[in-house]
Formats: sequence, structure tokens, C-alpha cells
Amino acid sequence: MITYNCTIQEGVIPEGQRRILNERLVQIGAHVLGVAPDDITVNYEVIPRGFGFRGGELSTSSSVRSRIPDGFSQEKRVEFMQAVQDMWIEVTGQTTAELVVGAADASYDNYRQ
Amino acid sequence: MPIYRFKVPADSVPYEQREKIAVDVTDVHCGSTLAPRHFVHVFFDEQPEGGADYPTRYYLDAINRAGRPQEVKDKLLDNLLNAFVRHTGIPRDQISGRIGETPASWAMEGGQVLPEPGQETAEWYAEVTAD
Repeated sequence: MITYNCTIQEGVIPEGQRRILNERLVQIGAHVLGVAPDDITVNYEVIPRGFGFRGGELSTSSSVRSRIPDGFSQEKRVEFMQAVQDMWIEVTGQTTAELVVGAADASYDNYRQ
Repeated sequence: MPIYRFKVPADSVPYEQREKIAVDVTDVHCGSTLAPRHFVHVFFDEQPEGGADYPTRYYLDAINRAGRPQEVKDKLLDNLLNAFVRHTGIPRDQISGRIGETPASWAMEGGQVLPEPGQETAEWYAEVTAD
């Protein structure tokens, strides 16, 4: 099971790009971590304009925080995060400075949000 | 990273206050850590009055890199909540919060895997502030 929780800013990523992102995120989860596509979920949260800030200024940033199955090596985790980052930048045109990618073990419970 | 989410009742914190809080939170975080300013994310989530499962009417739900001493985290949280109070004028007992943590190596930002707190190198800082 992989759950992607994507946080984006209102007006930054059009609906058409989100459809592509969904498909590509599922592909990455299946290809890099070997998780069945039916066990991969992609959620979006859109931050309304004026409610998200980065460095004290209005944000254009996105984050993709995922829950992945326990037990992967750090090397595999980095490969996964790198694949997500590279894909996201290719599809959206955002820069690495505008993107946070996370991959936490499914059992890790020290944060919620 | 960090990500600071203020859970607030709908229409209770106007834009001008949100902006000042975001600047102040960035100052507070960067004053006690070595994070670049543009790594500090601040969001405001409006909640239905009385509908959220938080101990106080306003709540700060944060995620930081793991590894800082508890006293540093406690002081950071206190300073962040005080920043919110300073700009909104709400009584201090109406806001509480928690700082959740994630291992630094489980996240990438600025194209790099995050270093552990205290392990930030000049090369890393130059790399992630190059844009």
C-alpha cells in the first residue's frame, strides 16, 4: 500500500496536470517499490490562495508526502523520492525549490497533519 | 520542511494577520535552527467552529526534522505559539500545539535529501539556496 498526500497551492497546478501526476505517481510506486497499482492511492489538498506561505511570502510550493510499506532500504527510499521529484518537475514545470517530497514508513506515527 | 499548520476557526484570522504570523514563524524557526528561510512552510487550515478534534480552539500542528533536544523543541513551540498570539490578540490559553517529527533522511527538498539537524554543511546550504 502506498498513499500519496499531495499539497498544492490554488491555481498553480491545473486539473489536466493533476490527472497526469496521478497516473505517473502510480507508475512510480509500482515500478520502483513493486506495489500493485490497485494498492496505490493519490490524495490532493488544495491550499486556498492567501492561506499558504513559504519563507514568509505567498507560496507556490507543492509537497508530496507519501506513506510506503515498511522495510525499504534508504537507497531504495531515495530512488523513490528522486523519481517522484523528477517526474513532478517534468510534468508541472515547478523547480526543486518549490517541491518537498517525503517517503515515510507506513507504521511511523510521530506526525499526523 | 518544517511544515507549520495552524488550525483555526473559519474567518477568524484575516489575511494581514496570516501574513505577519507567517513571517514571524519563519523568523522564529530560522532563529533556532539552520534551516534556509524558504524551507519554512506555514499553512492556515480553517475548521468548522467546534468541529475539530483539538484540545484548544486554535491549534498548531507541525512537522520538523527529528533529532533536536526536547528543550529546544519546547522553546520553539512556545515561541511559535506566542507569535500567533502576538498577531491575533487571542488569549494564550486558546492555542496549543505539537511538533511532530520525521527522520530527515525520509524527505527531499531543494533537490537534496535533508541533512540531520546540526549536520547541515556549507555545500548543502549553497546547493539548496542557489535558485
